[in-house]
Amino acid sequence: MATRLQYENNSEIGVFSKLTNAYCLVAIGGSENFYSTFEAELADVIPVVKTSIAGTRIIGRLCAGNKNGLLLPHNTTDQELQHLRNSLPDSVVVQRIDERLSALGNCIACNDHVALTHPDLDRETEEMIADVLGVEVFRQTVAGNILVGSYCALSNRGGLVHPHTSIEDLDELSTLLQVPLVAGTVNRGSEVIAAGLTVNDWTAFCGSDTTATELSVLESVFKLREAQPSAIVDEMRKSLIDTYV
Amino acid sequence: MVQYNFKKITVVPTGKDFIDIILSRTQRRTPTQVHKGYAISRLRQFYMRKVKFTQTNFHEKLSTIIEEFPRLGDIHPFYGDLLHVLYNKDHYKLALGQINTARNLIGKIAKDYVKLLKYGDSLYRCKSLKVAALGRMCTVIKRVSPSLAYLEQIRQHMARLPSIDPNTRTILICGYPNVGKSSFINKITRADVDVQPYAFTTKSLFVGHTDYKYLRYQVIDTPGILDRPFEDRNIIEMCSITALAHLRAAVLFFLDISGSCGYTIAQQAALFHSIKSLFMNKPLTIVCNKTDLQPLDGISEEDKKLVMEMKSEAMKTVIGQGGEPTDDNGVLLTMSTLTEDGVIAVKNAACERLLDQRVELKMKSKKLNDCLNRFHVAMPKPRDHKERPPCIPQAVLEAKAKKAEETAEKEKKKLERDIENENGGAGVYSASLKKHYMLANDEWKEDNMPEILDGHNVYDFIDPDILMRLEELEREEGTLQGLEEDDDFEMDGAELTPDEQAALAEIRKKKSLLIQQHRIKKSTAESRPIVPRKFDKDGKFTSERMGRQLSSLGLDPSKAIDRARSKSRGRKRERSVSQVDSMDVDGDNSNKKMRLRSRSASRSSRPPGELVPGEGLRDTAQKKKAIKLAQGSSKNRNKDARKGEADRVIPTLRPKHLFSGKRSKGKTDRR
Repeated sequence: MATRLQYENNSEIGVFSKLTNAYCLVAIGGSENFYSTFEAELADVIPVVKTSIAGTRIIGRLCAGNKNGLLLPHNTTDQELQHLRNSLPDSVVVQRIDERLSALGNCIACNDHVALTHPDLDRETEEMIADVLGVEVFRQTVAGNILVGSYCALSNRGGLVHPHTSIEDLDELSTLLQVPLVAGTVNRGSEVIAAGLTVNDWTAFCGSDTTATELSVLESVFKLREAQPSAIVDEMRKSLIDTYV
Repeated sequence: MVQYNFKKITVVPTGKDFIDIILSRTQRRTPTQVHKGYAISRLRQFYMRKVKFTQTNFHEKLSTIIEEFPRLGDIHPFYGDLLHVLYNKDHYKLALGQINTARNLIGKIAKDYVKLLKYGDSLYRCKSLKVAALGRMCTVIKRVSPSLAYLEQIRQHMARLPSIDPNTRTILICGYPNVGKSSFINKITRADVDVQPYAFTTKSLFVGHTDYKYLRYQVIDTPGILDRPFEDRNIIEMCSITALAHLRAAVLFFLDISGSCGYTIAQQAALFHSIKSLFMNKPLTIVCNKTDLQPLDGISEEDKKLVMEMKSEAMKTVIGQGGEPTDDNGVLLTMSTLTEDGVIAVKNAACERLLDQRVELKMKSKKLNDCLNRFHVAMPKPRDHKERPPCIPQAVLEAKAKKAEETAEKEKKKLERDIENENGGAGVYSASLKKHYMLANDEWKEDNMPEILDGHNVYDFIDPDILMRLEELEREEGTLQGLEEDDDFEMDGAELTPDEQAALAEIRKKKSLLIQQHRIKKSTAESRPIVPRKFDKDGKFTSERMGRQLSSLGLDPSKAIDRARSKSRGRKRERSVSQVDSMDVDGDNSNKKMRLRSRSASRSSRPPGELVPGEGLRDTAQKKKAIKLAQGSSKNRNKDARKGEADRVIPTLRPKHLFSGKRSKGKTDRR
C-alpha cells in the first residue's frame, strides 16, 4: 500500500529517499519523522539507512540502484561510501562511478531486470550499470525528456511515467520494461514522477499533496493492495475522465 | 478557473470616516509650512498640490470600491442571480453608480479649483480657494454616504456566503420545508447544519463536501420551497430557486411520505410539478424520506399514484444526455435519516448518475484527445522468454497474511521517532548513524575509523577483497619458496679471501660511521642555524682541505694544489720555470697557450673600484674628482635628511592664487 508523507514540509519525497527491494536510503533530516515513516513500514524486512551523498540530502536524485547494487556518483565522499558498505547487506554491490552526469537518479530509471538510461551516459557507465545492477540497459527518453530517471517510477510489477507520454511510447516502453505502464501524475499534478514517488514491489511512498485519484492510480499500476492495473480502464475510468478533462 | 471568493473585498468606510481618512492623509503627506513672504508662484503651487493630492486619494479609494465589488454581468449567472435575490440588483447597481459619479464630480471640482488657483494673488486667497475645494469634495462624499453604508453591509454579507464552485460536481438537495434535507447533508458530509423541528430552519445555502469514487462532491443544502407563484416567494425560497436554476448538479427532490412535515404528498407533488422546468437536463432523484415513520408500501393508493407520476417525470428529465437511468432504480429511492437506512444508497445513486452525465458530456469535448494516454494501460508484449519475477521478501508476505488474520492484535514497534521524543525531541537528540551497521562483529560498530593516516587518505587503500588477495599472495610466495629452496643464495664472508674480508669490513665500518654522522647532524637539524656554504668551515672546499684529503689517501697534494691555485683568478702567472714542472699534469699544453689563457682570464672583467672615463670627462682622474665633488656637495643635505634632487616631487596642481577670488576677462592664468 502507498503511504503519503513529507520531508520537512516538502512533498518531493523521491528526492530525499531511495527505495529498492533490498534496502531503503533516507536523507538525514532535522527530525526523525521522515525516517520513522519508512522505518515503520520497512525496518522488519530491509535495512533503512540514513545517509548523505556528496554531503547533500538529495540522495534520491544522486544515486541509482536496485536489489543487486547501488551506483553512487563520483562526488560521493569516501566516508559515505564506507558508511553505505557497512550498512547494506553484502549481497548489494556498492559502486562509485566516474560519470560526468553526477545526478544518476535523474539519468537512470531501473527495476531489478531492466534499466532505462539517459542517452548521453558514457559507454563505461552503461557497462557498469549492466554489471553492478544486473540489468539490461536501454538508452531511452520519456515523453521527449532525456532525464528518464526523473520522469518515471518503476518496480518489477508496474510503472508510472510522465503524463504527456503518448500511447505509442507507452506501449514501446512497456515492451522494453516488460511491466504494465500508465501515464500519470503525483503530488496534485506534478509531472516529475520520481520526485514525488518512491516505490518497490510491495510498497510505495508518495508526497503528501498526492490526491486520492492519483493514489488509486498508482496503487493499481504497482499492484499494491491486490489492485490490478486493469482497474484504471475499468472502474476508475469515469473518475479519471472527470478529473482530467 | 475563476474562484468565487468575496472575502477579500476591502472594508468600505462610512462617509464620515472616509472624509477623515482622506483629509488627515492630505495633512500628513503634503507640506504644511507656508509664509506670506514667499513668491506668489510658490504659494499657488503649494495649495494646488494640496487640492490635487486630495483628489487623487479620493479617486484611488473610490476606484478600489468600484473595482472590487463584482459586476453582476461578469460573474457566473448563479452568483449574479443570487446577489440579485439577496441584495436587489437595481439597488446594488445604483449604489455603485453613485460612487462612480462621486468620483467624477471630485475630479471635476479639483480641475476647476486648480484652474482658479492659478489666478490667486495672495496667500489668503489661495488658501480660501483650497478650503473651498476640499469642502466641496467632502460634501460630495457626504452625499453618497448612504450608498457607502449599504455597500459595507453587502460586503459583510457577501463575505459570509458559502464558497460554492458553480462548475464542479454538485449535489443539490431540495424539497418542502422540514422534510429532512439538512439531516441528510449532516449524515453524508461534515457540514454542521442546524436541524430543528420547524419549518425554515435553514435560511440560506449551505455547503458540505463528500467523497465518492476518489472524487470530491459539493453538496448544497437549500432552504425549503413552498408551492406558490413565483412572485410571492420570499428571499429564502428564491435562494433555492437560483441554485436549482443555475447549477449543473444532480438534484435530490426530498419527499416526506409520512406527512409529519405538515404537508401532504399531494401538496409536495404539486410543488414538484410547478418547479419541474428547473430540473431539465439534470439527473433527478426522488427521495422518499422518513420511512421509519411510514414505509413506502404503506401509503394510500392515490398517493402512490402521485409518487409514480413524479417518478415517470423524473425519468424524463435527462433524455439523450447521459446520466439517464437505464432502468428505474436510482430514480425513486427510500431512506430514513433517523435510522440511516438507505442514506448511502441515495448518495451513491446521485453521485453515480451525475458522474455518468458529466463523463458523457466530456467524452464529446475536444480536450479528451489530449488526455487519452492517461486512460491507457500499456500491457507488455513478451519480447523474450526471460522470467522477470517481482522480488518480495517472504517476511512481507507473512506479515500481510498475519495482518489479514488478526487485525486487532498490534504490538507497536519502537520507532526512531519515539526514541527521539524520549531523548529531548528534534534538534536535541542525535541518532547514531552506525547503529544498524552489518559487520562481522557487533563490537566494531562504534569503532573510530581514521580518515587520514601518515598523510595518506586511508580510504584510498581500502580494498574489500584484501584478505582474499593476501591469501593469494601467500600461496604464490609458498610456491616460490618451494622453488628457491634448492639454490639458496646468501651473502656471507665464507667465500672471500682474507684481504677481501678486511676491505669489506672497512667499507662496512665506514658506511656505518657515515650513517651515524648523518643521523647526528639530522637529529639536531631543527636547532642548527642554517649556514651558507661559503661560511661553513667544514663544508668549505679550500685547497688546504683538498690537500688534507689527498694526503690522507696517501697521495702528494702539492701539484694539485698548485694547479688549483694557478686556475684561480687575480693571481699572477707563475714563472715558466715552475710551469714546466707542472707540465706532467696537463701533458701537451704549450707555453704560449697557457699565457694566452691567463691573459684572457685577467681581461675578462674589471677589478672593482676601477673607473671608466666617459660622460664628457677626460680621464679616470677627472671622473674620480667629479664623483668626489658630487658626494661632497650632497653630504650635508643628506645628513639633515633634506630634500634632494633625487626625491620625488609633486608640484602644486591647483595653485591657490590662480583659482581663488573674482576674476575678470582674461585673468584665468595670469594674475
